Parts: sequence; structure tokens; C-alpha cells
Amino acid sequence: MLMKIEKLMGSIGGEFEGHGIDALLRSSRRRVDHALKHVRRPDAAVGIVKSPLGDLLVAMTGRGIVLNHYLLGGDDLAATIAKLRFELDLVEDRRTIKEVGEEIRRYIGGEAAALRRNIDLTLAVSPFQKKVLHKLQEVPRGTVVSYQALGAAAGAPKGARAVGNAMHNNPVPIYVPCHRVIASDGRIGGYGGGAARKLQLLRSEGFALADAALRLPDNVVWGHKGTKIYCRANCRTAARVDRSRILFFAGAREARQAGMRPCKICQPA
Amino acid sequence: MAPEKLQLPLPFEQIMQRHEREIMRYLLRVSGNGADAADLFQETWLRAYRAYPRLEPGSEIRPWLYAIAVNLCRNRARDGVRRARVIVAQEEKNPAVDRMIKGHRGFSENEGYAAVRLRELIASLPPKQREALQFRYFAGMDFADIAAAMECSEQGARANVSQAIRKIKLAW
Repeated sequence: MLMKIEKLMGSIGGEFEGHGIDALLRSSRRRVDHALKHVRRPDAAVGIVKSPLGDLLVAMTGRGIVLNHYLLGGDDLAATIAKLRFELDLVEDRRTIKEVGEEIRRYIGGEAAALRRNIDLTLAVSPFQKKVLHKLQEVPRGTVVSYQALGAAAGAPKGARAVGNAMHNNPVPIYVPCHRVIASDGRIGGYGGGAARKLQLLRSEGFALADAALRLPDNVVWGHKGTKIYCRANCRTAARVDRSRILFFAGAREARQAGMRPCKICQPA
Repeated sequence: MAPEKLQLPLPFEQIMQRHEREIMRYLLRVSGNGADAADLFQETWLRAYRAYPRLEPGSEIRPWLYAIAVNLCRNRARDGVRRARVIVAQEEKNPAVDRMIKGHRGFSENEGYAAVRLRELIASLPPKQREALQFRYFAGMDFADIAAAMECSEQGARANVSQAIRKIKLAW
């Protein structure tokens, strides 16, 4: 009796075996594919990149680099992947990712135009962050802005703290140059990958910074975006200038490249 | 810092290719008809896709998929009962059907009728026992997988299956 019931259990639904199930499977599979189209997460190639700045987890969608994450060790990698899975369907692709590593290596080596890849800001957490990151891309190599000035440029003159948050959550550091944002009094400030990496990046962009520097060096000049005049750090006009409209340059040369003229009071080189 | 090894979860596409046939077979046998199975199939994979990021890397995929499928079957059965109740309330209960269902004990030698009878008995089991039984005999899962899919202990899974078999044999 026992055998019989169990045999019978096995035979239930037996009528569906054979090529009937194949046809059903094909048509159902089409339905699933169609339905999935509406909820699909974008595909992304991911890989780990070795760079002079340490190991990076890089992800690329069809539109460009979507994540460039400093791996901080411990379970950081697993945690980042776990979070990323909610936004993207991940596929390992070492070749594509390696090219990104190569660009970063050349950039740190001093090749100004090495970072050629497009950027995909899908992972930006808010419209404000997206706006700030877009504005930040206009800040060229050899230049830094303050959190305050960047906030003003993005339409939030009192949003220095918010800009700080936006930088902290920058999904694509190096490519979106959040290392070029500093405190408005000239202090270097923090960095998601650690302050040492920020210094390393700024040094590679022409700023004469010591290993543990906390402030911009003395030969830095600042320029006003309105008057197009650049000054020494200690110029006496500094006290009355609108700080939300100034940029810092690694040197006088960079300032002149940006179309500015030297101040007649402090007479920078 | 030691070089880190990237360990990505399996692409969902691969999971689907690997398991779609057995899931379809299971749904066909549980629901007993192609249209329902096709609906459940679609729902199962859609839900699985949405829930996939929440599945911890390294956990078993098969019991997870079956857990999703069985949840959907349960919902459908519940909705089905609700629907059936409405229909019964509207129409008169058909005495001929009743007679047919109750009266085929004598035909148990006949495979076709035996299968119908067995289906009814399975349907009358408590949900946990029914689901465990279906996992065991329709999906061919081992007790560890059943336990994982039903979130119970292995002994619990074993007990549910043997209880189900015992009840069926008693009623036979």
C-alpha cells in the first residue's frame, strides 16, 4: 500500500511531461521576460582596480562609470556589493574595469587628460547631490573650491554642510573631483577615502602640499569669479570679498589660464 | 592590504535557466492545470527577481525559489476558495458532483480515478503537511531543502511528510 501511494504521488501531473511542458515553458518564459523589462535593474560590469590610491571597486553601466569606491578593508567590499545589488545587476568584467584603473594610474602620474570615461550619476542620492556633482565637474584640475562656493554655484549659498554631505556620498570620486573641495578658510578638510588620498590627488594636480598638510600652501592664489582678479592668500582685500564666489588655484599660472589678471594691491606673480 | 577577491552573486539569468524547468514542473503538478501554472510561474520569477538582492550571498537558491512559489500557491488557493464560495452561494450546489467525488472509492484500482482521489486527499491536508508532501514528491527535494524552504527544522519537515502520508493512507 505504501509503495502504491508513493508511486501514485509520483505519477500525479505526469500528463504534463513530454513536449507539452517545453511549449508551456517557452511561452511562459516570454511572458516573464516581457514583465521583467519593466522592473529590470541596469546591468553593470564590476571589478577591483589596483591604483596608486589603493584598491578601488569600480562599476560601469552602458552610460559610464557609476561607482568608484575606495575599498577600506574589512567587510567593506561585501557590504558595498550587498548595497549595490539593489540598484544594479552585477557582472564581473575585469577587462573593462582594468581600463579604468589604467586611466587613474596615468592621471596620478601627471597626465592631465587621462580621465576620459563618461560618468553615470545614477547612484546620486538626491537631485541636489546630482546638481552639486554636475557643478563640481566644472572645477578644473589645479583649482579648488570651498564647500560654500560650490553650494552657491549650485543654488544653495547657505548649503556648505549639505555640499559636504553630497561630497561624502559621491559615488564616483576622482572622476567627479570631490577632492577639489575644501573649507573656505583654506583647510583641506576630510575625504571619503581618507585625507591622505585627498592630499595625494591634489599634489598630483599641482598643489605643493606636504604629507600631513592641513591647509593649502602659501603660494596658492585665489581668484574672484566676478572680477576675474586673482590675489595672494594674504591680500588685504580678502577680508571683504564674497567668499562664495572665489576659487583657489595651485599657482598664478593656473589662474591666468582661467582668464584672470593679477591683483594690483598684493601683486601676485 | 591583501588583494581582495571579488565574489559576485550568480547572475539572475543563470538562476532562471537552471531552475525554470523544475519550477514549472512543480507548479503544474501543484496547480493541476497549465493556465494557473503559467501565471504562477510568471509571478514566481518576478518576485524572485525583486527579492534577489535580499538573498544573502552563499545561501541556497533552490529552497528560496520554492518558498516563493509555495507562498504564491497558498495565496492563490486562498483567493480560489474565496472565489469558489461566491460561486457556490450564487448557484445551487450540484448534488451530482458531490456524489461523484464521494463515490469513487470503489474505483481505486483504476489509475485515473485514483489520481483524482489522491488529489482531493492532498487538498484536504493541513497546509504545512500538504506543502511538505508536495515538496517531497512533486519537487523531489530532500528534507534539508524542505526545512529551508518552510523555515522549519529538518525533523519538522520529516514529520510533516510522514503525517501527510499516514493521513492519506488512512483515508484511502
